[in-house]
Amino acid sequence: MQIASEVRDHRAILKLNGRFDFHSHRDFRAAYEDALSRDGVREVEVDFQQVDYLDSSALGMLLLLREKAEAAGKTVALARLHGTVKQVLEIANFGKLFAIRA
Amino acid sequence: MDAASSGNHRPPAEAAPTQASLKILIVDDTLVNLRPLEVLVSRLGHVPLLARDGMEALAVYEREAPDLVIMDILMPRLDGVSAVREIRARWPDRWTPIILFSALDGMRDITAGLAAGADDYLVKPASAALVRAKISSHARQWALQRKVRAYADELASWRAEAEAQNRLGAHVMARLTDAEGLRDAMVRHFNLPADTFSGDLLCAARAPGDVLNVMLADATGHGLAAALTAMPLTQAFYSMTEKGFPLSSIVEELNRKLKRLLPADRFVAATLAAVDVRNQTVEVWNGGNPDALFVTYGGDVRARWTSAHPPLGILPEALFSAETEMVVFHEPGNLLLCSDGLVEAEDAQGTWLGLDGVLRLLGLAGDGDRLRCLAHGVEARLDGRPRRDDISCMMVSVPIERRELPRLAAPAAVYHGDVAEWRMELSYGAKELRYLDVVPSVLGLLTQLQAVKPHQSALFLIVSELFNNALDHGLLGLDSATKSWIGGYEIYMQQRAERLARLGAGKIDLAFRLHADEARAALDIQVIDSGPGFDYVALNAADALADTRRSHGRGIALVRNLCSQVVYSGSGNRVWVRYLL
Repeated sequence: MQIASEVRDHRAILKLNGRFDFHSHRDFRAAYEDALSRDGVREVEVDFQQVDYLDSSALGMLLLLREKAEAAGKTVALARLHGTVKQVLEIANFGKLFAIRA
Repeated sequence: MDAASSGNHRPPAEAAPTQASLKILIVDDTLVNLRPLEVLVSRLGHVPLLARDGMEALAVYEREAPDLVIMDILMPRLDGVSAVREIRARWPDRWTPIILFSALDGMRDITAGLAAGADDYLVKPASAALVRAKISSHARQWALQRKVRAYADELASWRAEAEAQNRLGAHVMARLTDAEGLRDAMVRHFNLPADTFSGDLLCAARAPGDVLNVMLADATGHGLAAALTAMPLTQAFYSMTEKGFPLSSIVEELNRKLKRLLPADRFVAATLAAVDVRNQTVEVWNGGNPDALFVTYGGDVRARWTSAHPPLGILPEALFSAETEMVVFHEPGNLLLCSDGLVEAEDAQGTWLGLDGVLRLLGLAGDGDRLRCLAHGVEARLDGRPRRDDISCMMVSVPIERRELPRLAAPAAVYHGDVAEWRMELSYGAKELRYLDVVPSVLGLLTQLQAVKPHQSALFLIVSELFNNALDHGLLGLDSATKSWIGGYEIYMQQRAERLARLGAGKIDLAFRLHADEARAALDIQVIDSGPGFDYVALNAADALADTRRSHGRGIALVRNLCSQVVYSGSGNRVWVRYLL
């Protein structure tokens, strides 16, 4: 999986591309740690438009991000969900844990 | 000590600091050639071993296992090329570079030497600088080879360690999964693990009132990781089911345990269900699993429980919801639970099976074979491709039975000792009634008595009936007749939850007395509520047992059946029963 990061105003956007599974662990952590360490950033948005697969360890990584963000007083949003990715997140009821954005 | 006097001593002068000391076998029949090489090797910090011909070289090679060999070709007894061939033939597994060092400089000699198994060829005479460079070059390769070997060894040892842990995990998971309850006549299941063992956990057990509780849990990870999460789950599931706690209390406890134990990125998707054949209800909590389905024998989906909660182990107690959904069934069928591995089973084009696919496969067989047919269908779909995730499925067959008495297991152990008189009185106010699971707690106290323990199931039913009557009708003012309407049971349960949450006053007193009066031990139970009571004279007159289609009044009929005496008094707000042990 590739991750492209960009910061717009107070929002850091992590654009994921490919399969989001346990192989992505190191890259994803590096990306969100960098995003959370930026002073002006108040929200991390994870963009799923280019993600075609998501497994349960990816859900775990999102929960870790959520925990780290909360500790830093920042929020997390999941954006542009579609297809099976959306389905997996809905079954896990992640809408009750994260802001979901079209 | 004189540096030159010992081959084992390494003068540091010319040795690169990081370079290891090698054992180098030098083979030459001419002392004039042998000596300078010996000195050079020592100077470079290596250990020289000497041999005067091919035969001697073989003996030293076998004994000392050198790291590098420098071999002359023209020697008596056994020539160098033959010696190389012999070394390669006799010790094929040793990795030792051999440099042929000879005055023969024809292309044919060189190729013959390399073909025999030598790694390099050096023509005499050669400058000391060239020989030194060759030795260093091979020493570097040797060091690299050594490093690769060390990594490989380390990897092999990690692998062995991981395998040992996996075996432990598999063993624990197998033990946790192999529960008596799964052999229940109502339960069928299968489990196709992604690796050699699964992270999916299946549990089934009977609660004391003959309700069947089942759980299908899908933990993140496999092996030891999965077993670690499964352990607290099974323990709490089985012990709370045995004590008769309601499904929501069990779910709450499972979440609390996992939240406390697991790191933030670990969780367990779980579906729990309570199947009550006597009351014809199925109650489900689904957090993170595919829809649970109630399917009639004809293949129609009568009820669907979509995941309504995040998986277990994520939310703290204050935010967690253990709210279940209950459905009354009016025809027999199967309750189907599965893990996402089943729904996501892919065909060759990568298309998911989906719940529709599951239903299609189930519909292909007669009732007895349905689950086997599904398992075969999934295997055929995967067609030998590795499973990405554990695939598990549980099917609970739910019959319609017109029976007043649940099938109670005969007391497992019969107590023959003396019964001493024993009393217990408990009083619950509105506040406690709102949040306590009174019946399991009381049963927990009662069944500590050896004489009472074997009668747990019957007593659970009796105390449940008496207590629920006192609470539902005495304090909450609910009308049992509601239950006999279509959809009435759901309305009744909803009213009950709403009124209980608002209950501001009232109390229920429970009294128990264990004694041996007429040469037989008995347990007397009295329940008094602070409500207005009811017309028990009319109830006594009606033969409740006669009309089995009525869903109310059956509870009291059941109590009458289990007890030797049932007496109402006061305004109907007091009931006293005697149960013979």
